[in-house]
Amino acid sequence: MRRVAVIGVGVTKFGKHDRTSSELFAEAAADALADAEISASRVQALYYGNVVGSETEHQLHTGPQAASILGIPAIPTTRFETACASSHAAFRHAVMEVAAGVSDVVLVGGGERVLNVPTPESTEYFAYASDAVWEQTLGLTFPGVFALIARAHMQKYGTTEAQMAAVAVKNHKHGTLNPKAQFQKEITLEQVLKSAYVADPLKLFDCCPFTDGGAAVVLTSEEVARRSRRPVWVLASAAASDWMLLGDKRDLSRVPATERAAAAAYKQAGLTPTDVDVVELHDCFTIAEIVATEGLGLFEPGAGGLAAEKGMTSLGGAIPVNPSGGLKAKGHPIGATGAAQIAEIVTQLRGEAGPRQVDQARVGLTHTLGGNTATVLVSLFGRD
Amino acid sequence: MTEPVITLQRFFARAREGRLTGVRCGKCGALAIPPKELCPACYERAWEPVPLAGEGTIASYTVIRVAPRAYTADVPYAVAVVKLKEGVSLLGRIVEIPLDKLAVGLPVRFRPLVKGDQTAVGFGPA
Repeated sequence: MRRVAVIGVGVTKFGKHDRTSSELFAEAAADALADAEISASRVQALYYGNVVGSETEHQLHTGPQAASILGIPAIPTTRFETACASSHAAFRHAVMEVAAGVSDVVLVGGGERVLNVPTPESTEYFAYASDAVWEQTLGLTFPGVFALIARAHMQKYGTTEAQMAAVAVKNHKHGTLNPKAQFQKEITLEQVLKSAYVADPLKLFDCCPFTDGGAAVVLTSEEVARRSRRPVWVLASAAASDWMLLGDKRDLSRVPATERAAAAAYKQAGLTPTDVDVVELHDCFTIAEIVATEGLGLFEPGAGGLAAEKGMTSLGGAIPVNPSGGLKAKGHPIGATGAAQIAEIVTQLRGEAGPRQVDQARVGLTHTLGGNTATVLVSLFGRD
Repeated sequence: MTEPVITLQRFFARAREGRLTGVRCGKCGALAIPPKELCPACYERAWEPVPLAGEGTIASYTVIRVAPRAYTADVPYAVAVVKLKEGVSLLGRIVEIPLDKLAVGLPVRFRPLVKGDQTAVGFGPA
């Protein structure tokens, strides 16, 4: 298999947009191509993530639509849907296409628009990623899924609401350093703890927002990458799944798909968790960040809450997590999230992250979770 | 073609009458609910339906206060993962238990949740 590099990244401002998801992706993709200093005429395929386009925009077939709006309609395009992990799943398949020698230049990205519908409607659409027969009929929501995980984690390890709140405070602080972030305001521990319950024990400030946005990255073969200014190498890209139904999961305090995908990624790259300098992970809810830091092997199972509270995952801490502000503050345009996380890690490894730069970042990790913890992607990146 | 031992439709028809049904693998003895085509323990296709008592304890629960649009009139309502005494778990809506009495470990019993043509899993007081 050939080595694969990311040579360009682009991300729109995250937040509310009066533009379609494909337009948002196209803006990010044009920025990524400009950043890569490569002509759109060289792109041989598009791997695209979009989740609720059918629901919020009455739009299927978003792969070719996104390519058309970008202005490169003739290339093969495929839309990936693995709930919130969609563009990270798209990325993994694009890596395989370049590694296999099928293409030399491939575009990966995603776009999502949800703020054009009211919250009870978007809450319903997001719940479509849980089981329609067994779970949606109960009125289960995504905050509800992670609340069940939070309660199990609290019960088993003694994790506290204050420890979860510390994740929100940290990610909002990081978000103030990211001009693309949806929220650029610090919040206090007290604000988080006094915010209204959405699904006990999770409160409003434990939850990431609904977000419109787009993100894209340009992947190339080593040969093409060697002619670019600052390639970042894909050291691994791995996926894993788990039971769809919450009732089928043996231990709700853990996410086996994260543990499996991480193990596969570390093995591919020949690295261990201690080699990782900077992490962008899937903090759709504060508890999700705590459980992910454990599943990725950064901390022992049950130690993630205390680590967050002690500042170990803050910028300047032992292992900075979500310097971009994470899904919590940067925002979560679900189909674009995986690509946006990769864009942040590439920016960090290039040393171009400005005030949120992690010192001496040489190895970075991205982790994206889809739906009720049934899909997880983990990728590792390095620089020369 | 092998007939499925129990289809979703048949499962919910029985559930509607208050009967909870699992499947037991005729090869390795593994128990599953809801029914699956293959045994996840031994990959064989030798299920037999087995009645479950419907008794269990709450393994985790949440009180949902921001609901999908079809359920906004129900808030606040609780959803719980219940570990059945046979060892398998099911997600269900909590009924007839005050929200402030919910606790991990609380014994509960299966109650069908019937709304028009739709049947879902509920759990009420033991």
